[in-house]
Amino acid sequence: MAFTLVKPLGERRSALWLDAIIVLAIGAVALGLTQVAAQWRHPLLANVEIDISLKSLPRYAFFTFVRGWIAYFFSLLFTIVVASWAYYDQRARHYILPALDILQSLPVLTFLPGLEFGLVALFHRSNTGLELACILSIFLGQVWNMTFSYYDSLRGTPPDFRMLGKLYNYSWWSRFWRIELPFGAQALLYNSMVSMAGGWFYLTTCEAFTSGDRSFRVPGVGSYMAEAMSRGNVRAQIAGVVAMGVIIIVIDRLIWWPLVNWSVRFKLDDFGGNRAQRSSLQLWLARSAAVQGLSGVWQSLRNRLLPPPQPPCAATSLVAPGTKPPAPSRVGPVIYIAVLAALIALLGWGATRLAWMLGQVHVVDWLEMGRGAGYSLVRVFASVLIGTLWAVPFGIWIGLNPKLSGRLQPLIQFVASFPMPMIYPWLLGLIFLVHGSLGWGSILLILFGTQWYILFNVAGSAAAIPNDMISCVEILHLRGWRRWWKFLIPAVMPGLVIGWITAAGGAWNTTIIAEIVTVGPRTYTTTGLGSYIARAANDGRFAQLAASALLMAAIVVAINRTVWKRLQTLANDRCRFIT
Amino acid sequence: MEAQTNPLIELRHISHEYAAVSQESDLVLSEINLSVNEYDAVALLGPSGCGKSTLLRIMAGLITPTKGEVYNKGMRLCGVSPGVSMVFQNFALFPWLTVRGNVLLPVGTLPAAEQQARLEKVLGTVGLGAYEYAFPRELSGGMKQRVGIARALIAEPEVLAMDEPFSALDVLTAETLRGEIGRLVADPNHPLRTMVFVTHNITEAVFLATRIVVMATQPGRVEVVVTNNLPYPRDTDAPEFKQMVERLHSILTHTILPDTSHPAQDKVVTKIDDFHRRIAPVALPYVTPAEVLGLMALLGDEPTDVFALAERFGKEFGSVVNVVKAAEMLEFVRTPEHDVLFTPLGRELVGASTAGQKKLVRDQLLKLKIFELLIRLIKVQEQHVLSAEEMLRELQVALPHEKPRPLFRTLLSWGRYAEIISYDQRRHIVRLYESRGAARARAKPGAPDGPGAHSPADPAAHTPAEPVVQSPAEPAANLPGGPVAPAQPAVPPVPAVPPVAAQAAQPPAGPPAQPGA
Repeated sequence: MAFTLVKPLGERRSALWLDAIIVLAIGAVALGLTQVAAQWRHPLLANVEIDISLKSLPRYAFFTFVRGWIAYFFSLLFTIVVASWAYYDQRARHYILPALDILQSLPVLTFLPGLEFGLVALFHRSNTGLELACILSIFLGQVWNMTFSYYDSLRGTPPDFRMLGKLYNYSWWSRFWRIELPFGAQALLYNSMVSMAGGWFYLTTCEAFTSGDRSFRVPGVGSYMAEAMSRGNVRAQIAGVVAMGVIIIVIDRLIWWPLVNWSVRFKLDDFGGNRAQRSSLQLWLARSAAVQGLSGVWQSLRNRLLPPPQPPCAATSLVAPGTKPPAPSRVGPVIYIAVLAALIALLGWGATRLAWMLGQVHVVDWLEMGRGAGYSLVRVFASVLIGTLWAVPFGIWIGLNPKLSGRLQPLIQFVASFPMPMIYPWLLGLIFLVHGSLGWGSILLILFGTQWYILFNVAGSAAAIPNDMISCVEILHLRGWRRWWKFLIPAVMPGLVIGWITAAGGAWNTTIIAEIVTVGPRTYTTTGLGSYIARAANDGRFAQLAASALLMAAIVVAINRTVWKRLQTLANDRCRFIT
Repeated sequence: MEAQTNPLIELRHISHEYAAVSQESDLVLSEINLSVNEYDAVALLGPSGCGKSTLLRIMAGLITPTKGEVYNKGMRLCGVSPGVSMVFQNFALFPWLTVRGNVLLPVGTLPAAEQQARLEKVLGTVGLGAYEYAFPRELSGGMKQRVGIARALIAEPEVLAMDEPFSALDVLTAETLRGEIGRLVADPNHPLRTMVFVTHNITEAVFLATRIVVMATQPGRVEVVVTNNLPYPRDTDAPEFKQMVERLHSILTHTILPDTSHPAQDKVVTKIDDFHRRIAPVALPYVTPAEVLGLMALLGDEPTDVFALAERFGKEFGSVVNVVKAAEMLEFVRTPEHDVLFTPLGRELVGASTAGQKKLVRDQLLKLKIFELLIRLIKVQEQHVLSAEEMLRELQVALPHEKPRPLFRTLLSWGRYAEIISYDQRRHIVRLYESRGAARARAKPGAPDGPGAHSPADPAAHTPAEPVVQSPAEPAANLPGGPVAPAQPAVPPVPAVPPVAAQAAQPPAGPPAQPGA
């Protein structure tokens, strides 16, 4: 590796130009942020013009980038608050977890009209409402798996460390920063990467949303792409795809990669053979005077925000014999009950509104939805099946070849993070080229959105097969068919089932953009629950939108409970290697 | 040394139960009164499950007992005790902090110079001066525990609490570390003079402690407190030391292996009145057939001390005692005092072939009340098929003080070994075992009805929910341990239902080479 080439830390010959670059970068970001602020404060227009010339693209890309990170910040906040609540409040847990399960199976588009209309009405003078609505819809694509992951980390925090926190009198703030977050860091980081990709997925929809005659477009790569598609400008489409690719690569290399390296230190097991390897970027940064100056500021800020906890003292934990221990403060429970009551009131209001809306839906609509659901069901399962057929052998092949997977990893990661809806018009063009129809073709579109989950999970499972098992299979001369059915497929089953769950859930939501695609001036539609939802949202038929989205969520949750969860229990019961 | 002043820690009438899973409360500690004075080194000694660790945490104020009060120098404790430091069995070192970072954790509020001075002193004490900037993952187990001890000492605690501090270490390392702690305790200049530690190792208790609190289980309680006034440094080979160890051996034997003069007990008979008795089955200890057979193979002709056996096998004496108990219930050994002796049956077992051993074990198992109950339970089921869920529920009713799952596993492993029952892991059902041949024979009328045919009990006379076995000599009417409610639904079914969150919470959906995947 490169470590022999890297000069020792003390030698700072290259620091000057590095500092120049860092200062320039900070300046560029600051300039970009003023642009963002201007965009937010800009008076609200009925229809925002999207300029598809190349010179606007960097600005648009930066807008999209910032939206993604603001949404991520909200996701992180939501994750920490809700997961901690679910962990510490046993009663609330029984409601929070199923609620999250349902929410994550609701398509993002369900919330979009409500968010757009509500927030734009709230901030009717400026773009703020529009921007917030767009950010929140990206947030809704990101947040759920992060929350589940962090909740799992909280449950998995070793009890001894919690005891230690108690012994040293850690406040909740201290406990969060010193114990819970570090132990959850790796899983959270990992899910953040997945979430970021999930957030981009509906970008073209979120940034260029129209409902009825109202347009809620905001400038960004997604809307740029949507505009380029509707005008049929291929050059602009290619530019948009490249810009999105650059965003993804920048985030991956400049943010996730260093963070992943850094987070290795939070691994609890002692046998993590691979030490945290510092990337050359980190070494450069560490050598820069600017960064060193900043880290000093960071240190003092950190000490201010996270002071060392006071050890328990006699004054607080001892009372004279005979006296009662001081009663716990009443303020907390009162606030809790108030918040809870507000939440319940809100939910109740929402439920009655929803019931009223559902009452408006005509039987004919229900029948149409049911028919559409049938079509979508076939498409979803067809895409999962096709995905399985190619991704299982390929995933096993990659997983069993560490060298290969090391080389392919950046590529696969990129492909998986890329929002496939951006290239749907191209795929559709290919389908039309072979005289296919959208009815069948949307299976391909769905497949492109979801097959990666199967691939990853299978590859991960295959990589985890113990070497002894592989040797044993070699010695037994298990070959051909028997090798697949008796060994390889059962061995990757736990991963495959997780892949199926994620892929099928994603596939349902993808039907919304795969069953209705705009190419040039034309919009192609086919029968399906997804296209029904999309049309209801775009036409502003909210009762139908609510009904169809709920139907979709119900189908996803029902299939999860009846099919996938059982398969998962079975796979985990039988097909796990005990180590 | 009776203190005129108030003791450092005083427990008054402490009882503790964990939030009950079923209606039966899980009483961990009962009526504990104990005080720790200055210059005491108190060992909490007892078999696993007697609540030693819970008691230690109650002393530190980490757990608030459900009943009773904790006093700290005469003041009532209502939070985490200010003067107690703790050493954990599995070290509990933060992997992302260096040795320095870990050790300085409890003294973060002191001025930097004071922190540095204390750090140097305490690292010197445990011999880790050169390891200041090492990460825990680079250290061996013994080194890690030294860091743990240093972290506890740096706060200059009034009481050092240690929860099985040496049991995660290998024997040699544990010996070294124990010796070092012994020297610290013996050193009049060292501030570490008062400590409480949990252990299951008698030698360790005698080596370090001035007072040894022997605890008994179910519910956890103080059996006796032994004062150990041997002068420091203690020599493990000295006759007085050996005498003390011997004395604790016999106390523990009586605590763990009570009433050893009688042969195997497989039921508890409680007299209700002159005509009625309650007979409850006794659970097999949670050991496997292989362990008992292994014990029999290794047991010599000479009577052997349980504790010597434990030492020879390199196992904790509690687990060896369990194996011995199981062997005794099956009448393969006798245990007069704390010696273990072959019975004639045991000798026969050792000499028998594999099949012969199986038959002997099977015959002995079928005599046990618990298996009698199990067989009857299977036979009253439709088609003689008992679901695991049902079996767990019944076990919970019949033996409310046992943990149903380990008991279930134990019964399965014995029943399957001895070919009494079979268990279908795919459908989670238990049946009586029958070989293929027997199954074919059963298709013809008049064939014997599986191993349950040996059982004297009449299945028609009892409902499965009634775990109480009626003694033949006595009139009927007896009550089980708890209410005769047919089912305690709190016992979850065997196929554990995964949490709702499982879907997205399992993150390995990702590139195979990612850490954390």
